[in-house]
Amino acid sequence: MRNVLRFQFSKGPEVRFLSHLDVVRTMERALRRAHLPIAYSEGFSPRPIMSYGYALPVGILSEAEYGDFVFARKIDPDEFVVRYNQHLPQGFRVLRAERVADRTPALMRAINAASWSVLLRGQGTEEISKRLEWLQGVDSFVVKRETNKGSREIDVRPLLYAVVGVQTVDTGTVIQCYSGLGNEANLRMNELGELLGFDHLSAVITRTGQFKKVGDHYYSPLGNRG
Amino acid sequence: MDKRLMPLLPLVEKPARYTNQELNAQHKDWSETAVKVALAFPDIYDVGMGHLGFKILYALINARKDSLAERVYAPWIDLKALLEERDIPLTSLESGADLLQFDLVGFTLQHELSYSNIIAMLDLAGIPRRSKDRRETDPLIMAGGPCAFNVEPLADFLDFVVLGEGEEVIHEILSAVAKKKLGPRARDVLLEQIAQIKGVYVPQFYQPLYTEQGDFAALRALHPSAPARIEKRVVADFEHLPYPEEFVVPYVEVIHDRVMAEIMRGCTRGCRFCQAGMIYRPVRERSPQILKEQIARLADSTGYEEISLSSLSSGDYGQILPLIRDLMADYQGCGVSVSLPSLRLDSFSVELAEEIQKGRKTGLTFAPEAGTQRLRDVINKNVSEQDLKDAVQGAFQAGWSRIKLYFMIGLPTETREDLDGIVDLAHQVLRWGREFGTGQRRPEVTISVASFVPKPHTPFQWMAMDSMEVLRSKQSYLKDRLRHPGIHFSYPKVEESFLEAVFARGDRRLGNVAERAVDLGCQFDSWSSCFRFDLWMQAFEQAGIEPAAYANWEPGFFQPLPWDHLSPGLQADFLRREWDLAHKEVPTPDCRWENCSNCGVCPGLKVTNSLVEGTDLA
Repeated sequence: MRNVLRFQFSKGPEVRFLSHLDVVRTMERALRRAHLPIAYSEGFSPRPIMSYGYALPVGILSEAEYGDFVFARKIDPDEFVVRYNQHLPQGFRVLRAERVADRTPALMRAINAASWSVLLRGQGTEEISKRLEWLQGVDSFVVKRETNKGSREIDVRPLLYAVVGVQTVDTGTVIQCYSGLGNEANLRMNELGELLGFDHLSAVITRTGQFKKVGDHYYSPLGNRG
Repeated sequence: MDKRLMPLLPLVEKPARYTNQELNAQHKDWSETAVKVALAFPDIYDVGMGHLGFKILYALINARKDSLAERVYAPWIDLKALLEERDIPLTSLESGADLLQFDLVGFTLQHELSYSNIIAMLDLAGIPRRSKDRRETDPLIMAGGPCAFNVEPLADFLDFVVLGEGEEVIHEILSAVAKKKLGPRARDVLLEQIAQIKGVYVPQFYQPLYTEQGDFAALRALHPSAPARIEKRVVADFEHLPYPEEFVVPYVEVIHDRVMAEIMRGCTRGCRFCQAGMIYRPVRERSPQILKEQIARLADSTGYEEISLSSLSSGDYGQILPLIRDLMADYQGCGVSVSLPSLRLDSFSVELAEEIQKGRKTGLTFAPEAGTQRLRDVINKNVSEQDLKDAVQGAFQAGWSRIKLYFMIGLPTETREDLDGIVDLAHQVLRWGREFGTGQRRPEVTISVASFVPKPHTPFQWMAMDSMEVLRSKQSYLKDRLRHPGIHFSYPKVEESFLEAVFARGDRRLGNVAERAVDLGCQFDSWSSCFRFDLWMQAFEQAGIEPAAYANWEPGFFQPLPWDHLSPGLQADFLRREWDLAHKEVPTPDCRWENCSNCGVCPGLKVTNSLVEGTDLA
């Protein structure tokens, strides 16, 4: 049986502009510095055996990124967290880790939704509250989505599952919401911006959670503490 | 990082180039450090981060109590436009400080097509372009690297230039700057002191003179502290030089992103077209013992997945095979591979490549440089037909299916036969591939043909570069004959090589041209997507300078050359002797294994070749 650890990590402001591939490379190098016994694939060019959830868009912060590492030998999850954190660069932090069964579904299959927190700097709640009120009565919102294969029209309204909070903070207004994530139903950051009426490039957006949404229930890929 | 960049970053490509906070970056306290140095690379982060010289200097400077070093790269055109639009100056990565706040800004001169970026970076930083216009408080602009050996085209923009190896002279410079006295003329006084450091050239203390016909005639020293000839610096003890224990580990993908061990410095193969082989003498190997320690420290502090054994010709390192075997034994288990950046054309290289590429046989690259044995003798590329045959057949037998061969056109004495030699070789390699290949993949050969640029301080410095017309016709001659399934033909633009030649062989008058080119919008000239030959030609016209008079200039043997005062230590008649031997098609053996070729470097600079014990005298 393989020794698989699933862990949750955060991506802070120092590293918010890293691409998914940059993150993967950084994770690999930190493993080597920490002398953690990651398992390598067979073959001519052995690769560390690891997998991640859906790529975080460049520029977005996160409190809930997930990874699966396969180790060559059994390793204690708590010891992993301590040792790995000592070697991760500033801006990355492993929050928790658990041993998972070898046959656990891959992260990509354990995730289909995300929660977000959006900070609109220097803005009051009034405008956004109005927008939300309006949005409640809207059941279709069609935008143009650019893809590699050209652009197509898509209704993004059903992809915004819920807005659960609008709060005033010192620096502005924070919106908290849930949306679709992944291959089936994915809401992009610019589309979230269009729906809620903000500029996604100047907002401070944080992914606060990733989940498996079943009906109205959201299950975390790590235990059921989501 | 400069906070003002934050709102711009979502708008540009690969923003993580500009965000700093990488592992092992040094953030020293400005208030407690006397001398602040910006190491400025005239290209983007992705290119500059691969430069070993700056990694060494970064570590050396930051290890000093009285000094700090930070990194600066050219912003890519998208960010550059935003900075200009919003009037945000160029800043260092670590502290986000304006370049104006540094005491020294040091540029590395890696190739001639980076010159426009140097001027553009000064502009972005708000530093006056020309030394003579700089104020007391402006940083001193210094430069080093291979192009320092003919830095004349940039002379007006640089306060001082270091020739040769930097590890010792940098301390002398920093100490001089640390002791700088305030007062009127402080900047001039400091420059006078710096001019007296061996290996340092202060261009403003000299004035070039030209004949009535406009030829370069002489360089007149204007100052008592300006030596007539500046000899390059060579470190006394390469083996025990301090080497970085950490490299800054970038987040974005950059070139040469790996542990680099400098296994050897200098090369005495004596290829007559090669400037590096002339200016980096003598050859010195570092012992495997020390290398293994340095590699272990770097592997540990970076976590890199690759170790590269760097030098001008790594296959020549005496203990290369045992070193590779030891490293493979130590690192293979933890997903770390070993690589060699430069391989020669012989069967031994195939053996080496097999050692490090166990199993995965991607392409293998060799550089015969010329198509016939005759021309290879002219250029002293001591590779025989047999070597070539052994190497290529060996590579196919060992399982490689793709071979890349580098050649040059426009070499001295080249004839139609030499071009045909390239064509024949390409077809020959395919035949060998079919005969000796293991059959899993169809053999393929890539022929890459560069236009030869005769460089200063080489035996070919007295020849003219082929005209662009001639080079183009040679390219199309080859193109017609290399149209064949399995053969790929690639060649850089003639215009790029031409501009490189103009500046490589240039004098101080070219400063005006470079400046105008920048004003016209030239930048990132080494990027084909940015290269604007039309604008460059416009700049030459505006400055009233004929570029062909430099690139296609054939100086007489007794004519003064604009780079005569910048000495890599070669004896005056050595290059001339090599020129004669070239034209007699007589090779000169490598002095590390055979007779001294009397180049003059060892007695002149009081150094010797030094090879590690146990080297086979093959």
